[in-house]
Order: sequence, then structure tokens, then C-alpha cells
Amino acid sequence: MFFSEMTARDTLKRTKQKMTEYQIGILEQLNAIEVDAHWFRRVFHTFAASFLFYYLLPDEKWINLGKIVLPIIIVACMAVVEYQRIRGGLDHHRFFGLRNYEKKRPASYLYFGIGVLVLFLLFPQQIAIPCILCASFTDPIIGESRYYLGKKRAYLIGFVVSLCFFLVSWYRADWWILLLVCLLGATGVLIGEAKKLRFVDDDLMIQMLPAILLLLLWQGCVALGVNILPPKMILPL
Amino acid sequence: MKTSTNRRNESAQKLLLRLELWFAPLLLVVPLIVSLVFLGDWYVKGFIGRSASYDGELFLGLLLLIGNLLFDIPFLRSLRMQKKKQ
Repeated sequence: MFFSEMTARDTLKRTKQKMTEYQIGILEQLNAIEVDAHWFRRVFHTFAASFLFYYLLPDEKWINLGKIVLPIIIVACMAVVEYQRIRGGLDHHRFFGLRNYEKKRPASYLYFGIGVLVLFLLFPQQIAIPCILCASFTDPIIGESRYYLGKKRAYLIGFVVSLCFFLVSWYRADWWILLLVCLLGATGVLIGEAKKLRFVDDDLMIQMLPAILLLLLWQGCVALGVNILPPKMILPL
Repeated sequence: MKTSTNRRNESAQKLLLRLELWFAPLLLVVPLIVSLVFLGDWYVKGFIGRSASYDGELFLGLLLLIGNLLFDIPFLRSLRMQKKKQ
């Protein structure tokens, strides 16, 4: 009786041990996946800067039509996929690199796509280029430096980096316009990144906020009889 | 029931990791190609053609190249780590 009790306890102990080892194994695996998803998301961001190739496409009738239709189709497809995922038609686990809070709302890649689409179709490239650069590089730079240096320093670095992007994109404008645009644009980027909204992702805000601010500035100056836009940065092939 | 769901999720995660590996060349190569196109266009029309209008493409090309390389290296490192773990 005593012997059988001991073996039963031992078996229970062993099973518990095995279960714990199994759980730890799964957790380690999940952590590894999370780490990879982290860099995957970062690289996806920087990859998006190559969408600027759009402005290199030649200025021909049928290509110009494609420049409007193709981005709309791509974003529409993304919207359909996201709609299906949120409704439950597609398993959340099938999407690599999604965050937990994206389970019941559209994922950030859709917001990013919508932002780029709006910039391509409605804004001049002088405004769109620095905004896309900020979404592609400033966002991951802030994310990484926040981890190592803290929130305040990360935002400071983000502000300086955004300032550089606006500086590079508007370097042919007059000095006072350059100063104004850089400060306004970088502030817009920072607010877009820092202000977290429940249903609107920062990937959209970081692009749209500086773009709208610069559009207002540009149109305001045009109303005053001054065109502040510098020459185009990218000329078609 | 629960264990079968866990297993399904686990295998889905493993499959996604493989998908990530398939995606990697695209994520790494496309920005590099685009940056080289920008730099090439600047070299042909801006540098040889002596036109300052293409200087913006030089800046963008360099920015794309350096910016992407900075993030590609840790990404590749994480992929290598993952392969080693597997």
C-alpha cells in the first residue's frame, strides 16, 4: 500500500515537472517569436521607404493612370483582408508580427498603407516625401531609443531625425521657409507619434499630421501670394 | 481539446516563422535596389550630366541605403539566432 502510494506521488511529481518543462519550452518559443516579430516590424517600416520609387515612374498617360489605380487596389485588398480578420474569417495567428491590441481593430500596416495612399494622391511630393521618410525611419528609431534611453530622450532624438528629413527634402527652399517647415513638420511628427489614439494608429498620424500642417502653411502662403514649395526632389525616369 | 488548439497555434507560429524567412529577401533586397536606382539616376543625370536638380535623389539614395542597412543587420542577426535555436 505504502509502496503504491509512493509511486503514485512520484508519477504525479514527474508529470508536474514535465508539464512545467513543456510550459517553459512553449514560453521560450513564444518569446523567441516575439523578438523576431520585433525586428520584423522594424524592417517592415524601413522597407516602406522604398515606396518612394513611385515618384521615379515615368510621366506617361497609362503609367499615370496606373499610379492612381494600383495603389487604390492594393490598399483596398489590404482593407478586405483586415475586415475578414476582424470578423473572424481569418485566424489572427496566421498574421505574423501583429500586436495583441490589433486583434480587434485594423492592423497598423493598413493605416500605414492608407497614409501613403493619401500622400501619393492628394499631396505634392515635396510634402509627401519627408512624411513617408518619417513614418519609415523616425518611428522605429524612436521605438528603439525609447527602449535604451527612455521616453524623453527618444522623442528628442526623433525630433532631430525628423528635422533632418525635412531639411534634406526642402534644402532648396529659402532659409526662413526651411526653418519654419522643419520645425512645423518635426513637431507634427512628434505629436503624431506621442499621441496614442484608440482606433487610429500612430503610423497614420505620423504621416498625416505633419502633411496637413505643411499643406495649411503652403496654402496660407499661396493665399498671401507666396509659393513656398521648392522644386521637385525626385524627377521621373 | 485545449492541447490540440495549442498544438495548432504552435504549428501556425512555426509556419509563420518560415513565412518570415521567405519574406526576408524581399524586405532586405528591394530597398537596396531602390536606393541603387536613385543613386544610379543621380550619377547618370546629375553627376555626368552636371545637373544639380538630381542632388535630392543622391540624398534619398544614401538615406535609404544607410537607414535600411542599420535595421537589416539586427534583423538578420535575429533570424540567425532563430535558426540556431531550431
